Amino acid sequence: MYPPVQIDPSKALAEMATFQRKLAAGMSHLRGMHEPEFANTPRELVYSEDKLKVWHFTGSSASAAKTPILIVYALVNTVWMTDLQEDRSMVRNLLEQGEDVYLIDWGYPDGADRWLTLDDYINGYLDHCVDAVRARHGAGAINLLGICQGGTFSLCYTALHPDKVKNLITMVTPVDFHTPDNMLSSWCRDMDVDLFVDTMGNIPAGLMNYVYLTLKPVRLNQQKYIGMVDILDKPVELENFLRMERWIFDSPDQAGEAFREFIKDFYQANKLIKGTLAIGGEPVDLGMITQPVLNIFAEQDHLVPPDAARALGTHVGTTDYTQLAFKGGHIGIYVSSRAQREVPPAIHRWLRTRS
Amino acid sequence: MADSTTDFLQDYQALARNAWDAWARQLQQAGTVAPTQASAAPSAAEATLERTLDGVRGYMNWLQGMMANTMAPGSDWQRQLPQWFGGVNGPFAQAFAGIDSAGAQGFVEQWQAWMQAAQQSGVAPAQGHTGPVPAFGLDREQQMQQQELAQALLTTAQATGRYQALLQRAAADGLQRLQGKLAQHTGPGQQIDSLKGLYDLWVDAAEEAYAEIALTEKFRAAYGDMVNAQMHVRQLQQKHIEAFCQQLGMPTRSEVSSLGQRVQALRRDLRTTAGAADGSLSDRVDALARELDAPKQQRARQRPAPASRTTTRRAAAGTGTAAKRTRATATAAKPPVRRKPAAGKRTGASVSVAARGAAKPRRGVAAARPARRPSGKRK
Repeated sequence: MYPPVQIDPSKALAEMATFQRKLAAGMSHLRGMHEPEFANTPRELVYSEDKLKVWHFTGSSASAAKTPILIVYALVNTVWMTDLQEDRSMVRNLLEQGEDVYLIDWGYPDGADRWLTLDDYINGYLDHCVDAVRARHGAGAINLLGICQGGTFSLCYTALHPDKVKNLITMVTPVDFHTPDNMLSSWCRDMDVDLFVDTMGNIPAGLMNYVYLTLKPVRLNQQKYIGMVDILDKPVELENFLRMERWIFDSPDQAGEAFREFIKDFYQANKLIKGTLAIGGEPVDLGMITQPVLNIFAEQDHLVPPDAARALGTHVGTTDYTQLAFKGGHIGIYVSSRAQREVPPAIHRWLRTRS
Repeated sequence: MADSTTDFLQDYQALARNAWDAWARQLQQAGTVAPTQASAAPSAAEATLERTLDGVRGYMNWLQGMMANTMAPGSDWQRQLPQWFGGVNGPFAQAFAGIDSAGAQGFVEQWQAWMQAAQQSGVAPAQGHTGPVPAFGLDREQQMQQQELAQALLTTAQATGRYQALLQRAAADGLQRLQGKLAQHTGPGQQIDSLKGLYDLWVDAAEEAYAEIALTEKFRAAYGDMVNAQMHVRQLQQKHIEAFCQQLGMPTRSEVSSLGQRVQALRRDLRTTAGAADGSLSDRVDALARELDAPKQQRARQRPAPASRTTTRRAAAGTGTAAKRTRATATAAKPPVRRKPAAGKRTGASVSVAARGAAKPRRGVAAARPARRPSGKRK
């Protein structure tokens, strides 16, 4: 039996010196670096309302897809995770597969949006976006791709407007909010959300980010930046790192009322799977979703635990249900190289057989 | 050897200090306005920088501390663990210190500043505070409000204390877990041989311990209590400010908020009404179209087989339209009808739209001109 830590002093000194050298040299690499841009896949604005915009991505050639896909992202964080950089862009990859891709950019809510409810988002904004895309294609129904909270919205929307959705794809979408490993859910269970929203109004993005950081405090608040020192002398990796930082912290505030409803109805009462949810006075029944459903989740997701997403399979009404487990985390499912290889092609293959 | 190591460490520490200062100066120059002579307090940008780099600096301090520890002859790793990772300068403390300031800027920081101000002004509860005192006289209401605020501050301090105690427990549990993890590295060739390797193993242990505690009922209750207590104080604070604004004749947050609520309710009503009207109009147009189509289709059925190319084309077009409409209707009919369809509202609108084969956005702006490769920056 040996002592588990055997760090040679000279090696330790070298390690420290290397770290210090990299940190010092990092100055010159950071100097003059501009704010990293997102991929900016060419796109055109096809619809706008208040602060939201619907973008249509224009590929190098006309899409062969019969039915367009509308991506519905979460209200937290910005939509550019789907088009982060050229070699890590879900939308670009979907375009290359031949899909016709639209994306809802919810924008940055301010005081004027304080009273937007889930009804306003789902039966208002989302419905208008769907109609806009349907109008452009003369289509009766389109494909929806909901991501995270946007997936939950898409489920509600499909249950409420079944005639407008042909196929439904959900990615890292929480359905059962009470799985035992759901830290966010646990934390907000005893919160007085009414008091919280009445006091805060809109929920500041900085506060949301603070909560996300505390899910893995040491890893996200310290270890990550120590890792950054290692890449300070690697311009491409550093730019990628800074781009991700931009995405993480450049987040929208949350409209107060919608936040209140989402926390109370989904996180606290778990109404979606209990069948007691109502949006705009209309009951939302997952059993009413009979469209083909592809449910993609991440096996190492710390925000939406796999079981929270897997639950869809037992509550959705369709007989055409497909589940895809991705080996990665909540962010890796869009941006990792594995995701680029696996996720968009899987979506395309699944849609092709249901067009 | 010992002397040369000591020299190296001294040199290293000097280098580290210089490099760190230079790094901070560089970043400040790049992104901030230099603080003026008159301002003794650090600028917001400096504070941001400090917070951002706290984690890295904490790690550097830890590396230095570890050097001294690992070089101690005959060191007992099990006894040394708390020294390596515990204490106020340990990386765990640094990580949480960072969270308390960086992540919650505008929340915890504001809160802490306000708590300080409240204590200085005497509103905050003093040590040994024993509860409310009956209020009376002309400023009875103000006295009551102050007492309520004092009680809320006390409750918050207690709730925050319970939360922090759980974080400390997580730190202690992390060390125990690390011990267990290290015990798995006692076989030949399995030793941890780098400081970064040891640090990463500790991070794994600390996160596991934290996650376990953070998912307990106790943590949930402490978290909820702390947030609720903080919100209560904040709400009382807002009440005070509102009363003050009212005295000055200024519009208050409640008034603006109330207006916003009414506007949004009106917009919602408008949407519902427009949806209903749209659906009703669509239904009437569809009914009229069917009425108009019926005799034409009847005539087409009675007409003999087409003789001319023009007739054929017309017939084909007619069939095509009919077929298209049938397909669209079938598409609309294919999904199940909602269990409780909205009476002539959204459902009616959507079905009729689908029956015409194309949707029409009811609100907003459908952009006419494509944007030319817009940048991702939208703020």
